[in-house]
Amino acid sequence: MNGFFKTMAVTAVAAAALLGGTAAQADGERYVLVSHAPDSDSWWNTIKNALALAGEQMDVEVEYRNPPTGDLADMARIIEQAAASGPDGIITTLADPDVLSGPIRAAVDAGIDVIIMNSGTPEQAREIGALMYVGQPEYDAGFAAGQRAAGDGVGSFLCVNHYINSPSSTQRCQGFADGLGVELGNQMIDSGQDPAEIQNRVMAYLNANPDTDAVLTLGPTSADPTILALDQMGLAGDIYFGTFDLGGDIVDAIRDGVIEWGIDQQPFLQAYLPVVVLTNYHRYGVLPGNNINSGPGFVTADALDLVSQLAGEYR
Amino acid sequence: MSGFDHDPIVEMKDIAKHFGPVIALNGVSFDVRPGECHCLLGDNGAGKSTFIKTMSGVHKPTRGEILFEGCQMNFDSPRDAMEAGIATVYQDLAMIPLMSVTRNFWMGREPVRKIGPMKFMDFAKANQTTMDEMRKMGINLRSPDQAVGTLSGGERQTVAIARAVYFGAKVLILDEPTSALGVRQTANVLATIDKVRKTGIGIVFITHNVRHALAVGDRFTVLNRGKTLGTAQRGQITPEELQDMMAGGQEMVALEGSLGGTV
Amino acid sequence: MAESGQGAATALAKDERVKEISGLRKALIRPELGAIVGTIAVFVFFVAFAGDSGMFNAQGVLNWSIVSAQFMIIAVGACMLMIAGEFDLSVGSMIGFAGMSIAIISVTLQWPVWIAILLTLALCVAIGALNGFIVVRTGLPSFIVTLAFLFILRGFTIFFPQLIERQTIIGGIDDAAEGDWLAPVFGGKIGGWIFDWLAEMEMIAVFERGTREGEPIVNGIPMLIVWALVLVAVAHVVLTRTQFGNWVFASGGDAQAARYVGVPVNRVKILMFMFTAFCAFVFATCQVMEFGSAGADRGLLKEFEAIIAVVIGGALLTGGYGSVIGAALGALIFGVVQQGLFFAGVESSLFRVFLGVILLFAVILNTYIRRIITGER
Repeated sequence: MNGFFKTMAVTAVAAAALLGGTAAQADGERYVLVSHAPDSDSWWNTIKNALALAGEQMDVEVEYRNPPTGDLADMARIIEQAAASGPDGIITTLADPDVLSGPIRAAVDAGIDVIIMNSGTPEQAREIGALMYVGQPEYDAGFAAGQRAAGDGVGSFLCVNHYINSPSSTQRCQGFADGLGVELGNQMIDSGQDPAEIQNRVMAYLNANPDTDAVLTLGPTSADPTILALDQMGLAGDIYFGTFDLGGDIVDAIRDGVIEWGIDQQPFLQAYLPVVVLTNYHRYGVLPGNNINSGPGFVTADALDLVSQLAGEYR
Repeated sequence: MSGFDHDPIVEMKDIAKHFGPVIALNGVSFDVRPGECHCLLGDNGAGKSTFIKTMSGVHKPTRGEILFEGCQMNFDSPRDAMEAGIATVYQDLAMIPLMSVTRNFWMGREPVRKIGPMKFMDFAKANQTTMDEMRKMGINLRSPDQAVGTLSGGERQTVAIARAVYFGAKVLILDEPTSALGVRQTANVLATIDKVRKTGIGIVFITHNVRHALAVGDRFTVLNRGKTLGTAQRGQITPEELQDMMAGGQEMVALEGSLGGTV
Repeated sequence: MAESGQGAATALAKDERVKEISGLRKALIRPELGAIVGTIAVFVFFVAFAGDSGMFNAQGVLNWSIVSAQFMIIAVGACMLMIAGEFDLSVGSMIGFAGMSIAIISVTLQWPVWIAILLTLALCVAIGALNGFIVVRTGLPSFIVTLAFLFILRGFTIFFPQLIERQTIIGGIDDAAEGDWLAPVFGGKIGGWIFDWLAEMEMIAVFERGTREGEPIVNGIPMLIVWALVLVAVAHVVLTRTQFGNWVFASGGDAQAARYVGVPVNRVKILMFMFTAFCAFVFATCQVMEFGSAGADRGLLKEFEAIIAVVIGGALLTGGYGSVIGAALGALIFGVVQQGLFFAGVESSLFRVFLGVILLFAVILNTYIRRIITGER
């Protein structure tokens, strides 16, 4: 028993030390960014870095929160919780309006300014009373990519969906199919999040459907294992390969000609701009008059240097 | 001793039990009368466990008949045998250590007070009865909600015996109750057996320890390789003879010689 | 064990070999002790470090209460089942499955929501019974059987909405539930007038703008919390005070010994699997009715969170020992720590570290208590 309390005390002291570190800037504005991404999704690292950078530059306190398993119901709780802690602003994704609009609207009504980033649409953001939307409309981005691929002569494709639970990821595939002018049908696979599984499923699909023209991945989680899969099958550089989002391996693959293009939604801007916008709004009362589209921008083998240098960190 | 002028409570006639190709019992006859302690002796693998499980309704005999108070019985489950009055105290499965003495004592036959659809346990009654019954067996419990795990091995056997007696057992089957106990605890359990016998309950005492059997037994039946080697009255047989019969005779004589007669 | 001595002990002559144990020690040796100590420690910690952060205002309290209540609902089921000697790893998938079932029946098929709820209830309980039936019939560890159902149910939860609606989230249940008589039992709120009054007395904050301007920020106690408390109370009474409760302990303590004295062990176990499924159903229905949508990702990993809460609450992984109150406190600790670390400003990834530490303490403390109870050395 004594041992128990002693250890508890030690833990308390350790925790207190941690608290001291984060509570230092308590007099500045405080903004909370809530994402829908599970812990395992490495793409969000850029968001975290950009958020920290913006906090540093604007001299405000910023926090990043996410549901550990990507469960959107948990995310709703996190938004409620963020609202209860009384921050100056909340920056959040709108991965599923059904689940999240209630808590977000309650936060707005409680006097907290909200900016929607990443997932969602400008219309949805306006509807729930957010100040603005910063991001890349998913369906439109998929559609644009589909049109581009159609122009390059693609007629069939495989969409490697590593986050099938999220409607926005399905919208990307759907948009791509519509841009190509084909039925999505069975061309979208649920790849799971495990790299080895993704790799094997891609190989299995391509073996079973050898006349597939193109591969579309939805981010580094699915793109990195797909690159390996194509390598192993000897299809690298041969099959038309496009991906959403950037990451270290994706940039290398673009340079090597394995990937035709990466759709950069520039996550940096999605985390950085809302903090800047909110801070200036709270300090000087200025607010841009419209939503901000952070993407889509197509990154191709041209002008890759800066991207490759900062890939995974700020790009 | 008492009992011989009574008819048997349970009579097992020519019981055989086959498990697939294995013949576990091959024609065993056995009976127990009120107020007697009938010891069933046998070495490991002799068929003792199969036999008592047949008697207590766990197994159905392949052949042979079971008479209970003169009527032919066909037990479908241990529950049936229990309802009829045959209670079994298993060597290792007697008690659940994490549960209180009261909960163990009443397990499966909880005293209930019905409130609406809910059957509440009547703990006031259950605790009081448990304490009383245990005291009758010579054990003073610290409290009835003491976990059985805090009791000694002998005490646990006693709780199980007290439970069987309280619930109106006419025949009490004790499966190796002394095999895992120390000297003093064994003595306590044997004393308990004696107490129970005097209330008119027939006891079937399974053991492979001849001295324990001779200490309380009225009759002795030896089982070897699925068969009975006969039944002896108290005073008609010596420990050495019993020991020989259990081991199947000759080999034991030879062994005993080499060990200097100490087995 | 919760029942008291009822005075019987005092009437007895004392045996000189029975050592007297102090009242304090006796009060200490109960399964929920670890959870009680933990709950106090957790609250002291957060009052000290997050007392002025909004964690203990109306909104903050509601936030961690809801999260704790969610854990409680599934922990109660997991606790009863664990005491009966089995696990259910399919709870999380069952939550996703139940929500999706309600969504498909009410939105896609356009049937009334109350029918959707009742059909889903029947379906969930039937799957629970199937789980239990397979476990008792095959004698396989429930770990394996329910692990299979973890995948089976999750797979269907993704497959069906994909097949029918071409997406993995089905919304619009709130519109369908409009005016339904059963939906508010899961998604409604009660006691709104208390909060109106509190807001009038300026004891809780009100919305500053929007359509709900002037209304209290907290406008009622969600039925989720009511369900949690009712389930905890009913399960506690059933477990500690009824005949059936004794059978649950017996089935988990030693199934064979229980069978020998006539306890219907198989029936008890199957019923407990059904109860666990029922708890998952309640969790899912409350969630679906609150959010108005069902998603294929709902309930991920919840089975482990339930088991952790139960273990923090003092139950034994091997069965036969535990307490519903303990499990409820375990859920409370879980919820308060998970939400409280945010208010205290701790980096969220450290939540797992805290959780692990608490789990370890709880298990060590519980082992110690159990040794005292059973006299193991």
